[in-house]
Amino acid sequence: MAYASVIGSSAVIRGNVRGDGSLQILGRVEGDVGVTGDVALGPDAVVVGAVSGARIVIGGSVEGDVTASEAVVISETGKVVGDLAAPRIGMSEGALVRGSVRTDGVAAGNSARARVPASRSVEADEERSRPVVARPAPRPAANAAPAASVAASNNNAAAKPALKRPPPPPVIQAPRAGARARKRMLKR
Amino acid sequence: MAGSVVGAGLIVEGEFTTDEDVVIEGTLRGTLTSAEAVSIGGDGVVEADLRALSVVIAGQVTGNVSASSRVDIQAGGRLIGDVKAGRLTIADGASFRGNVDMDV
Repeated sequence: MAYASVIGSSAVIRGNVRGDGSLQILGRVEGDVGVTGDVALGPDAVVVGAVSGARIVIGGSVEGDVTASEAVVISETGKVVGDLAAPRIGMSEGALVRGSVRTDGVAAGNSARARVPASRSVEADEERSRPVVARPAPRPAANAAPAASVAASNNNAAAKPALKRPPPPPVIQAPRAGARARKRMLKR
Repeated sequence: MAGSVVGAGLIVEGEFTTDEDVVIEGTLRGTLTSAEAVSIGGDGVVEADLRALSVVIAGQVTGNVSASSRVDIQAGGRLIGDVKAGRLTIADGASFRGNVDMDV
């Protein structure tokens, strides 16, 4: 067996699982799972608790945050209700996810979350990001209409540090592709 | 093929219930209930009450052991706790401290 530890399909653990080595979960764990090696959840596996490991492959169901030091892969039968954090995240078509996704690989922290007020679908995250989103709103309301440009610059100043952190690679790549296409068009 | 394996280095804390075989080479704390055989390997450490069809102990167990079939304490195995089982074997070189109830 490739995995050092296996939680069988009929197994139910109410408590925590932690330690070294790789772990395959085919049954049910009601508690946190944290290992230094890889974690694989079979299609019928259920984890109610946080999952952390090096490379986590989810074919089953997780109700809790998933944090990986290498990668999180959610296969088509996988379902996650919780936040995902890993340097690399893969998701198959059919996978169900409800929570925030971060691919910077930094361990979950509130300061990092506050700096990324990106659109999210989780209720809990909406609460966290609300102060950041709400902050610029009272300024234009307090200032008179002529000061709108000042308020706008204030907004930009407030928005800049917020946007500093996640420059999504696809956005940078898109103009390059366009530039190449334009060059090709000019050659023709 | 064992249903569940708690490998070396893994620590399970809590209530472990299964209908399949269990092999413990790591650490288990809490309770373990299995409808099949439970085997505690040479490096296995169990601080839990065990309830299973049969139990083979080659590692260390602290807790009460109840087996509907049999309990085998192998050489090098160590059990501190009471045993309730139909059959019990204690190999030469095994350590055991506790009461035995064999349904007589």
